[in-house]
Amino acid sequence: MSIGSQTSSLAIELRGVHKRYDERAERAVFSALDLVIPRGSFTVLVGPSGCGKSTLLRMIAGLEAVSAGELLFDGVRVNDKPPVARGVAMVFQNYALYGHMSVYDNIGFGLRIAGVPKAERHAAIVDAARQLDLEALLQRKPSMLSGGQRQRVAIGRAIVRRPRAFLFDEPLSNLDASLRGSLRAEIAQLHQRLRTTTVYVTHDQVEAMTLADQIVVLSPQGLEQVGTPDALYDTPGNVFVAGFIGGQRMNLLPVDAMHDAALRALGAGQAAQLALQGVAHVGVRPEDIDLVAGDAARIERIERLGADSLVHLQAGGARFTALSADRQLAPGDLVGVAARRQHHFDGTGRRTPRPAP
Amino acid sequence: MVVATDAHAAPRPAPASITGGAFGRAAWREVAVLATPALLLFGAFIVLPFVLAVAASLSNAKLLQGGDPAWVGLAHYERLFGVHLVSVDAVADKTPMRQWRELRRASAPRHDDFQYLASVDAGARRWIVAARDTQFLRAVANTFWFVLLVVPLQTMLALLMALAVNRAYPGRTLLRTVFFAPVVTSMVVVSVVWGLLLHTDEGLINRALVALFGAGAPQPDWLGDARLAMPSIAMMSAWQGAGFQMLVFLAGLQSIPKELYEAAQVEGATRWQQFVHVTLPGLRRTFVFVLLATTIAAFGLFTQVDVLTKGGPLDATTTIMHRAVQVGVRDQDVAYGSAMALVFFVLVLVLSLAQKRLLARMDR
Amino acid sequence: MSAAACPENRPAGAAPSANMRAFAMRLLLAAALVLAGLVFAYPLLFMFAASFKPADAIFADIANPLALLPDARWSLVNYRNVFDKSAVGSYLLNSTTIALVTIVAGVFVNSALAFAIAKLQWRGRHGVLALVLALLIVPLEVLAIPMMLVVAHLPWFDAARGVFVVGWLDTLHVQIVPFVANAFCVFLFHQAFKDLPDELIEAARMDGAGAMTIYLRIVLPLCKPTVATAAIVIFLAMWNQYLWPVMTVQTGGARPVMVGLQQFFGRTNQWGEIMAYATLITLPVLAFFLVIQKHFVRSVVGSGIKG
Repeated sequence: MSIGSQTSSLAIELRGVHKRYDERAERAVFSALDLVIPRGSFTVLVGPSGCGKSTLLRMIAGLEAVSAGELLFDGVRVNDKPPVARGVAMVFQNYALYGHMSVYDNIGFGLRIAGVPKAERHAAIVDAARQLDLEALLQRKPSMLSGGQRQRVAIGRAIVRRPRAFLFDEPLSNLDASLRGSLRAEIAQLHQRLRTTTVYVTHDQVEAMTLADQIVVLSPQGLEQVGTPDALYDTPGNVFVAGFIGGQRMNLLPVDAMHDAALRALGAGQAAQLALQGVAHVGVRPEDIDLVAGDAARIERIERLGADSLVHLQAGGARFTALSADRQLAPGDLVGVAARRQHHFDGTGRRTPRPAP
Repeated sequence: MVVATDAHAAPRPAPASITGGAFGRAAWREVAVLATPALLLFGAFIVLPFVLAVAASLSNAKLLQGGDPAWVGLAHYERLFGVHLVSVDAVADKTPMRQWRELRRASAPRHDDFQYLASVDAGARRWIVAARDTQFLRAVANTFWFVLLVVPLQTMLALLMALAVNRAYPGRTLLRTVFFAPVVTSMVVVSVVWGLLLHTDEGLINRALVALFGAGAPQPDWLGDARLAMPSIAMMSAWQGAGFQMLVFLAGLQSIPKELYEAAQVEGATRWQQFVHVTLPGLRRTFVFVLLATTIAAFGLFTQVDVLTKGGPLDATTTIMHRAVQVGVRDQDVAYGSAMALVFFVLVLVLSLAQKRLLARMDR
Repeated sequence: MSAAACPENRPAGAAPSANMRAFAMRLLLAAALVLAGLVFAYPLLFMFAASFKPADAIFADIANPLALLPDARWSLVNYRNVFDKSAVGSYLLNSTTIALVTIVAGVFVNSALAFAIAKLQWRGRHGVLALVLALLIVPLEVLAIPMMLVVAHLPWFDAARGVFVVGWLDTLHVQIVPFVANAFCVFLFHQAFKDLPDELIEAARMDGAGAMTIYLRIVLPLCKPTVATAAIVIFLAMWNQYLWPVMTVQTGGARPVMVGLQQFFGRTNQWGEIMAYATLITLPVLAFFLVIQKHFVRSVVGSGIKG
């Protein structure tokens, strides 16, 4: 593989993919998974630990075998191809840099293996280094770099080979919070510039929401929902997605006697009525609750988050939270609550459309 | 080791495919190229000889020989462990050896091939132990005796040395080097040098005794006295080997978390109490390992005996392996020598398994 | 003793007499350590000093600790005699050759197997690991006799004469080849490789490297301390080898130093010369160790050999 020959991006498709960790394992990680990753998109696989998102990424990379089903790159089956033949590059959570080599050699290692002539290699390495602001560090060894610099070297190693798809495995998880923001922006800029298909794994839904064109939400049960960040935020398909996506965790109020007061206070209606309609949970995001004058709920606790506060409320024995910019609130106050938006979920956890008012 | 990867990711099941199933035959070629040289050498020079040793011990093969070896089954092992125990009257005018010879003649052919080994008087009865291969049994006894001498000595020495060099102070590195230097020295050299130091007339130790206690001081024949030979060898062996076990203890000491000592200090423990309640328990695993490793090594005693005493005086220092080499190589009786070596192997195996079991139980 | 005499253990306002007592104790401890060191070092120091003295001087001074110090009677006579009376020069060459060849071959052969077991996935790798660990227990002594039978029948290509010969006895290679594969070294490398993150190997795979490239270019260079440790272990074992050469090498051509010493020891009672011989074959190893001992100790202590 030489540089420059593959500038087009991949369209990746998984069809009916099953994954077991070994032949005798009882539980399958994935069963009959279907997923399309459009060409040039930035697709984020998100979910809690243990849901298999890294495994999915590694199957695409060629580091894990596909137990059953098809993995297609541009319509061509690649199940049996080794990673280097797939034209993909991967950035690991732990950077995985070659500690005994300089940054220059780290970035150029794959090109050396591929037999790229020295001059061409040098040009490519310098170019990648420039894109990532690493020129001054080329002769250093990884142990002399900060976490953020190391991750950029890892990214440099990936881009220098001009792959047809980038695979990121939780690349920001090992970095300090302050660094994450700037590196996240760089990754976003990279995608803007190169427009290469990117598959990105993270457990942080903020990263998912800010970076993705398309989010794939995974849970231990499997694939929950695929959609744009807005779609997932506005219309979460089930209780899991609803609770996972969104800055502050969505209030999921069970439709029962204990939560009747709260439901009525928020304007969702009576529990009994909702139950008849088949609604088992009502979801309201804290940011969708307005606090007004009234006495429907009591403030139990306020967590100051800077500009906003997370207000913990209690109505009739049920607890829920609201986000408010009002600095005058204090614990013990009585307030009225009004939900600007609600989500209904049925007994299986799936979204049910709200009946027209 | 410089590796530029940071904290560990959450553990995942072993990756299925760095060479694995999906990429088939090429993967096996990679493994074959890497693994074959070592496996071939192990096969030819460990597995094959081991199988041959077992086979030889069940035959009557000779080292450089004429005819074909014949199958003799467990005959060699019967000879090695053939022991008869009889009781006779405890009489004062006959030596036990004579009594035995008479008994053997009288009850032929029951006790043919059995030589007198030892006897014990209990009241009016005298118990005589006779064996087919008295030299071997004496070798077994000597080996156990050596182990009993050297293991506690070497282990204690190693522990003391490790404690002495655990903390940093000027000259610590020099002291540690001094302690470790004998390990690096060949056992042959050690034997030769100690041979001089233990020399009866002119050796350092005896001369020092004269210097300390005057002309009437005891001048033991360290290597020539049957009772002193093995302890002398044990002493030089402990001197040579303690340095290595010192390193093992050092590793153990350094693996005890500092917080445990600090917690004990906060609770007011004295240094001695800290030693007893933090250090010693923390060293339990290491202790087991050192004890057993030293024991296993001690059972193989050969070099010092071969250089200094050649098994003497009067078979006082002959060991299992020394007999095995003597019989198998120098007397050319490969079959019998192999049988002895295999007995030694079983001993070592049992000890190693016991160590594994002990350590596993300690982990629980 | 483990907390040694740490001044920080004493409260700041301790009474002066307590301080003096602690100081006296520390002094006593230091003296004890110095004494222990001297006693422990004595045999080797003695060997070294005696190698420069004529026999009667050795015995005259033997109980005198000050005799360890150089004086007018020291000379190189013993050394000259050793070189005259025995082929110690060629024995040194033999031992060096044996050690170096075994080290180079051993490092690669053993680490290659360890890499395959630790980082590659294949059916049977656990079984092979168990087998290698089992081999750790089998001592040379058990195998020595049948090994002799095996090597007596193995063929070898005699490059000097350009023919195949049968039998390896009385050669250098009989002292090398059987020991290239070393279960302990495989174990050492396996532990070191196991500690390397799998992502490193995976990143190299993504870069297109095959197993051999990963092994040579990435894994091995990252484990230089382990390579050093293995080299030292092999060197010690091969230099100090005694049982096997005694059994398989009868003639002087391929004789290593340890057998040479034992033979010399049996042939003469010129103690000065014996000590000179012993010093000759010990000093290189000791000097080497003095230089690298810090690395070695750190790697042994750090590698968790303890269990």
